[in-house]
Amino acid sequence: MLLTTLFPSPDEFFEQTGWEAKPEGLCRGEVCVPSPGARRPDGTIDVSVVAERLSMPLLRDEHSDTWVLGPSALSGRALDTAVVPPLSLSNFDGSPFDFTSLLGRRIILAAWASW
Amino acid sequence: MWQALHEELSPFGVTVVTVAMDAEVSMAQPWVSAASPTHPSVIDRTHSLGGALGFVNVPMAAWIDEHGELVRPAESSRIVPSVMAGREVPPGLPPRIAARFELLRHASPNAHEPYLAALRDWAHRGAESPFALTAEEVIQRSQPRHADEARAAACFEMGEHLRETSGVDAATPWWREAHRLQPSNWTYKRQAWSLETTAPGEPSDLIQEPTDRYEGNWLDDLVAQGGLKNQTPAFSGPSSR
Repeated sequence: MLLTTLFPSPDEFFEQTGWEAKPEGLCRGEVCVPSPGARRPDGTIDVSVVAERLSMPLLRDEHSDTWVLGPSALSGRALDTAVVPPLSLSNFDGSPFDFTSLLGRRIILAAWASW
Repeated sequence: MWQALHEELSPFGVTVVTVAMDAEVSMAQPWVSAASPTHPSVIDRTHSLGGALGFVNVPMAAWIDEHGELVRPAESSRIVPSVMAGREVPPGLPPRIAARFELLRHASPNAHEPYLAALRDWAHRGAESPFALTAEEVIQRSQPRHADEARAAACFEMGEHLRETSGVDAATPWWREAHRLQPSNWTYKRQAWSLETTAPGEPSDLIQEPTDRYEGNWLDDLVAQGGLKNQTPAFSGPSSR
């Protein structure tokens, strides 16, 4: 995920990654990882600490000062839970696609490409 | 093809969502316009499905139940026969085109049938279908991800952001690194190659011959990885429960 700050609020971090800051640590689905130091005194998340705890790559492009946080490699698989993480998909007009419009239905998420 | 399947399965509570893994809206849009889908049709310009769910090629699909949980991870999802399967290589083709043809003609003509049957079974039987996996199976059958694969996803996203904001030269080192870190990820490679080899105003180039910008190309990478059988993670069949 493209970062606009290295210290997002817990809500922002959850919305973008699916990882929620709880007393027992950072949790997604049934997985919780103890993460001392992940919450700063002001309540924001310290992304550099989280990256280490959750085995997420944190990259910086020096020329543009752009930061990107990659996915977790914690479980050794692409998924560490069957709960669907936040997906940043868009409609073709550029607006975000809202999965809640499909609540209660089963979904086949089928990828294709022009290339 | 997905449109027809959506119409067939929608009465059973199943919705097809097609996702174009395309950095450029203009490349995918004509295909969508031609298909006029009645199901949701969206675009993933940063190939975020790779990082989020383990999509590494197309066609691949994941199944999500009515509670928002995956019951199948991203896997090969061919639902129609390969148009190249079994066809003879026409004489007189340039050597690299003939080599490409030769690879594609060995695709199994019936490879789509088990997947299509499983999909219909799940649509009709829901959680009772043997093709609905347990949460543990979903995780275990998802794509491998260690430090290199995770870093490749971040490199690709960084590259796409820089391509958008600064141009392809800024993106190139990040995309080359993504290709190096995860050579089995064909969406990262084919996306980058086709952007480089497609002529302005033309549809996406599918041949993707060697360029000066990237180390790999479609034909040589596919041969190096053992051909089509290793190109897309196979449909893994029913649950073991």
